[in-house]
Amino acid sequence: MLLRFVPVPFPRPLRFHVIRFDSVSKRYASGHQALSALSFRIQAGEMVFVTGHSGAGKSTLLKLIALIERASAGAIEVAGNNLASVRGRRIARLRRNLGMVFQDHRLLMDRSVGENVALPLIIAGVPADERARRVRAALDKVGLLAYEKQPPVTLSTGEQQRVGIARAIVAKPALIIADEPTGNLDPQLSYEIMQLFAEFQRVGTTVLIASHDLPLLKRMKQRTIVLDHGRLVADVPAAEIA
Amino acid sequence: MSAIAKPVTPSARERHRSRVAIWREQHAWACAASVRALAARPFGTVLTVAVMGLALALPLAFYLLLCNVQRLSGSLSESQAIGIFLKPSADAVSANALAKRLRARTDIADLVVKTPQQGLSELAAMQGFGEALQTMPDNPLPFVLLAQPRPGLSRAQTEALVGVLRTLPEVDMVQDDGAWRARLDAFIALGQRVTLLLAALLAAAALLVVGNTVRLDIRARAEELVVQRLVGASAGFVRRPFLYEGLWYGGLAGAIAAGLVALLEWGLAEPVRALTASYAGRLVFDGLPIFELLLVPLAAALLGWTGAWLASTRHLSPANPH
Repeated sequence: MLLRFVPVPFPRPLRFHVIRFDSVSKRYASGHQALSALSFRIQAGEMVFVTGHSGAGKSTLLKLIALIERASAGAIEVAGNNLASVRGRRIARLRRNLGMVFQDHRLLMDRSVGENVALPLIIAGVPADERARRVRAALDKVGLLAYEKQPPVTLSTGEQQRVGIARAIVAKPALIIADEPTGNLDPQLSYEIMQLFAEFQRVGTTVLIASHDLPLLKRMKQRTIVLDHGRLVADVPAAEIA
Repeated sequence: MSAIAKPVTPSARERHRSRVAIWREQHAWACAASVRALAARPFGTVLTVAVMGLALALPLAFYLLLCNVQRLSGSLSESQAIGIFLKPSADAVSANALAKRLRARTDIADLVVKTPQQGLSELAAMQGFGEALQTMPDNPLPFVLLAQPRPGLSRAQTEALVGVLRTLPEVDMVQDDGAWRARLDAFIALGQRVTLLLAALLAAAALLVVGNTVRLDIRARAEELVVQRLVGASAGFVRRPFLYEGLWYGGLAGAIAAGLVALLEWGLAEPVRALTASYAGRLVFDGLPIFELLLVPLAAALLGWTGAWLASTRHLSPANPH
């Protein structure tokens, strides 16, 4: 009998939702309605941009994911955690699995570049030798290995942003969120930074970036969620980005 | 740039790493961070430590003086005999007869008879009396009985005994050293209370100094604390460097206070010796035992830690970095 060759399916990464927003609203104590009934899903390994004018709710969305703010209504799930039930020590634990990048870098200017990047590993209790290895690897990825011992103040704005990115990836998070990471950079430098994020996405990291730089978003050709006054007005797949 | 590694979960080695090792490493980091924070503002640190050191030295100095007064009082209590001065007409026979009667009492532990000659000899041995006594034609001193009350006798019982002795026909005068000793005891008790209150007040002041310093430090390092929170630091991790700061402040201040008291001991020992020598005395100004001196920085460190804990609990937000 002729044995029929049955091809075994190539193992593919499980496609699960890393982020799920279900009718999420956020109203600040001042009465400002930042988000209204926002619903979307982001799958593992996706790179997604959130865009909109100032006050559209981009930063609020990221703050809700990082548990800096709490939703007024609706449900948010991040990596299988219902954020409404995440309290106390679990908040810190959840943040350790997030890589956060900020527009103003938020670096400690009295510490060296290496010490800044090492901070999440110290918090996570990674041993010193392993820590040093990972810090050098992260700095190497962002092209700043030579600056490990220097204070951040001696670096340019673009380089400081790359230190911030190295700090965000050093603990190997499954999800990176970035709030206007190219806000203060020129177009070419902005594109280079975005390429760096795209590289992380290509190896399976989920990346969510808030940006109002439309030309850059068009150039990156990734899924884009458009917000306006806290409402989702468009969720454009990567293929439809002109 | 090297190739980017795939994101991976922490290795088995990391996951199973001893919690103690992590604890030790994070404490070492917090300790280094606290030293760096103190070194970053040397003038402020020295000023804070000096103020606390002086505040702690004051009750400690009182305690030292009190210890010496107590020691003096203790040595006096050993010789708190009741002096029974007999009438000048009393001779050796009647003095010994009375002594025999008194020794039979249960409230008298011991009794010594001092003859006029013995009294004169003792007086002559005291500085400044020798020449004066030589000018006297005869011995004016009476027989004296020195009665040692039974140990454990209450003040009321001693006074009752003195009252009985005063009624005896052979007795001219009874001198009760216990009366002024009771006054001295009362003064010492008052001194102890004042020292305790002073120590409590100044310890509270030291606590507030540390608390306020840590509060200001938390405000100055707000940005760093926000970053720590955002990258996943627990409340304990954020708080730890401030607790170490409190320990340093307290420990250093305690060491200064102990040093100042040691200086006080050294400074007073010689003048006290010279003063007592001029009265033919042998009073020695004793310092605090080394154990107690070592205990001061430890207790002060605990005080500093408490102040820092109170301030950090009050001023560090539990989870929200904003």
